[in-house]
Amino acid sequence: MSAPRLIVLAAACIGIVALPWILPAGQLVAATQMLIAALFACAFNLLAGQSGMLSFGHAAYFGVGAFATIHAMNALGGAGLLPTPLMPLAGGVAGLAFGVVAGWFATMRAGVYFSMITLALAELLHALAPHLKGVFGGEAGVSAMRMPAWGFTFGSETEVYYLVLVWVGACLAALYALTGTPLGRLALGLRENAVRLRYLGYRPHTLKTLVFALSAMFSGIAGGLQAMNIEAANYVLFEIKLSTDAVLFAYIGGVNTFLGPVLGAAVLTFLSHTLSDLTRSWLLYQGILFVLVMLFFPDGLAGLVRRAAQSLRDRGLARWLPPFAVSAASALSITAGTVFTVELLQRMFARDYRSLLAMNPGSPWPDIELFGHPWAPLSPSTWWLPAALLVAGLLAARRAAVMWREPEAQHPATTEATR
Amino acid sequence: MTANQTILSLEGVRKSFGGAEIIRGVDLQVRQGERHAVIGPNGAGKSTLFHLISGSFAPSAGRIRLRGQDIAGLPPERVNRMGLARSFQITNVFPRLTVRENLRLAVLRMHGLSYHFWRPVARHLAVNDDVDRLLETVRLAARRDVAAGDLNYSEQRSLEIGMTLASRPSVILLDEPMAGMSQHEVDYTVGLIQDVTRDCTLLIVEHDMQVVFSLAHRISVLVYGEILATGTPDEIRANAAVREAYLGEQTV
Repeated sequence: MSAPRLIVLAAACIGIVALPWILPAGQLVAATQMLIAALFACAFNLLAGQSGMLSFGHAAYFGVGAFATIHAMNALGGAGLLPTPLMPLAGGVAGLAFGVVAGWFATMRAGVYFSMITLALAELLHALAPHLKGVFGGEAGVSAMRMPAWGFTFGSETEVYYLVLVWVGACLAALYALTGTPLGRLALGLRENAVRLRYLGYRPHTLKTLVFALSAMFSGIAGGLQAMNIEAANYVLFEIKLSTDAVLFAYIGGVNTFLGPVLGAAVLTFLSHTLSDLTRSWLLYQGILFVLVMLFFPDGLAGLVRRAAQSLRDRGLARWLPPFAVSAASALSITAGTVFTVELLQRMFARDYRSLLAMNPGSPWPDIELFGHPWAPLSPSTWWLPAALLVAGLLAARRAAVMWREPEAQHPATTEATR
Repeated sequence: MTANQTILSLEGVRKSFGGAEIIRGVDLQVRQGERHAVIGPNGAGKSTLFHLISGSFAPSAGRIRLRGQDIAGLPPERVNRMGLARSFQITNVFPRLTVRENLRLAVLRMHGLSYHFWRPVARHLAVNDDVDRLLETVRLAARRDVAAGDLNYSEQRSLEIGMTLASRPSVILLDEPMAGMSQHEVDYTVGLIQDVTRDCTLLIVEHDMQVVFSLAHRISVLVYGEILATGTPDEIRANAAVREAYLGEQTV
C-alpha cells in the first residue's frame, strides 16, 4: 500500500474512533447507522461486485439476522442466549443457515433469473412475516433489551457505537482477507466466466452457494447489530427498500473497489440523515445521483477518487488544480441549479400550496419562501437563476472535459481557464 | 510411448440436435501417450465430438470411456477431475483477471484448494511455483500482470493451453490451438505441444495440415459425423477415400 493511501486510511480510522467526542450526542446514532450500512453494503458486494451475482433481495438476510438476534436477546427469560457483545453472532449464524438454503436455490440460475429468485425470496418473507406472529411479532414487531455484560451497561449510545465499531471492523477485515483466499479468487472467476471454471474441475454451483452463504452471514451480522442498536425488529425490515439500499450503496460507492461500498454506504446514510430533515425530495436526489454515477462514473465514487488521485500523480499539483477547480465549480453549479429547481417545484406542487390556490382562484400565485427569500413561482425572473446555474455548470463541465484531455505537459492555457 | 493401450475410447457415439444427426456413430480409440489428430472438413462435427468427450453435452447413444470408465454424460467438472482437460476454439479465459490469476485459478483445484476460505492464496507456495512454471512454459512470464482480455490473440491462445495443462491431466483436448497464429507462433506452439505431451495423451483438432502431419502419431478423418479412416500420417496420405473426401487437390 502506498504511503498517501496509508495516511488517508489511518486518518479515517482515528476519526472514526474519536467520533463520540466530536459529534453531538444525537448524531452518534447516525454514525452507528453508517457503520452498519457499511458492513451490509460490503457483504452485498461480496456477492454482487466480486462474484457477479446481483441480489435484489439482500434485505432478507439482514432481516433474518436482526430477528435471530432479537430472539437471542429475549431468550432464557430475557437473560439472553449470549453475553450482549456476542449477540450479533446469532444474526450471523441465522444469516448463514438461511443463506445456504436460499443460495442453493437461487444460484441454480444466473443473471436476471438469479436476481428474480432473490427478489422473490425476500418478497416471500415480507409477505409471510406479518402472519407469523410468534416469530416476527406481527405488525408491531419484537423488541428486546440490551443486558449489561463484561462490565459495560450498554445503556449509552457511546458504548453501543464502540461495540458496533469493533464488530464492523472485524467483519470488514474478514471480508477483505477473504478476497485473498482461494475461494475469494474463485469468486472473481465466477464473475468472469463461470462456465470455464467447470472445465477446470470446479463446481460453480457449490462455489456460488458458498459465496452466497458467506455474504448472507455478514448481512445477518449487520442485521444483528441493527437489532441490538435499536433493541427491536419489525417485519418492515424485509421491505424492498433495504434491498435497494444495498444495491445503491454498493454501486454509488463503486463495486470494483473493496472499500467502495463502505464509502457509498457512509456517504448516503450521512446524507439521508442530515438532508431528510431539510428536504422532502431526498429520495429523488438519491435517484438522480445513482443515475449520474451509473452514466458517467460506472466505477462509483471510489473509482472517481482513484481517478482523481491518479491524475494528481500524473500531472502534479500545479497542472491538476485548474481542471479540478473547474470540475468542482461545474458540479457545485449544477447541483445548486438542480436543488433550486427541485425544491421550488416541490413546493409549487405541494398539497397545501395547491389548496391555497384553490381557495383563492382569482388571486395571483403567492410567493414561495425558499432559502430565506420569497420567489414568485410564475415570474420568469425567478427561473433565470437556476437556468443560469445549470447552463454555467454544463459549460464548465465541457471546459473541464477538454482540460482533462489535454496532455500533462501543457502550457498557460490551463491558467486562463481558471478565471 | 506405452504399448498400444487405449486410454480414451468411443464406441458407436451418436449425437442429434433436433432432427439433425451431427455425429453418426463414431468409433475412435486413442492410445495412451499418443498424439492423435482429428481432421475433417468444416461442419464434419469435430467440435461437437470434443463437446461430447469433455462433457458439454451427453451423447444420444454410444459409450465414451476414459481409462475404462464410462464418462458419457458426466458433467464437465467430473470429466476434468478424472484427468481430461480441454481448451476451446474460441478463446475462453477470465478476461478481467491477470494472466497469473487465470493460471492460478486453473491450478488451485489440483492442490485441493477449491473451497478454502481461511488462508490467503499467496501463502500456498506450491501453487505459486506451479503458476510460475506454467508462465514460463507458455512464454507469458513477461505478461503475467496483464489482464487476459488485453493480451493479443495468440497470447490468449497460449494462455488457453497453459490453463489446459494446469491440472496435469492425462488426456488433453486442444480445439484448433493454432487458429490465427503467425507462422513463427505456430512453430513455437508445435514445439510447446510436443514438449508438454511427452507424458500425457493428446487429442487435437487442427486445420493446419502441416501441423497435423508433423505433430500427430495417428490421424482420424471425420466426415459428416463418421470416421472415414484412422491411421498414421503416411497411411492417411495414401488413403484414396480420404484424398477424395477431404484432402482433394491440396495434397500434402
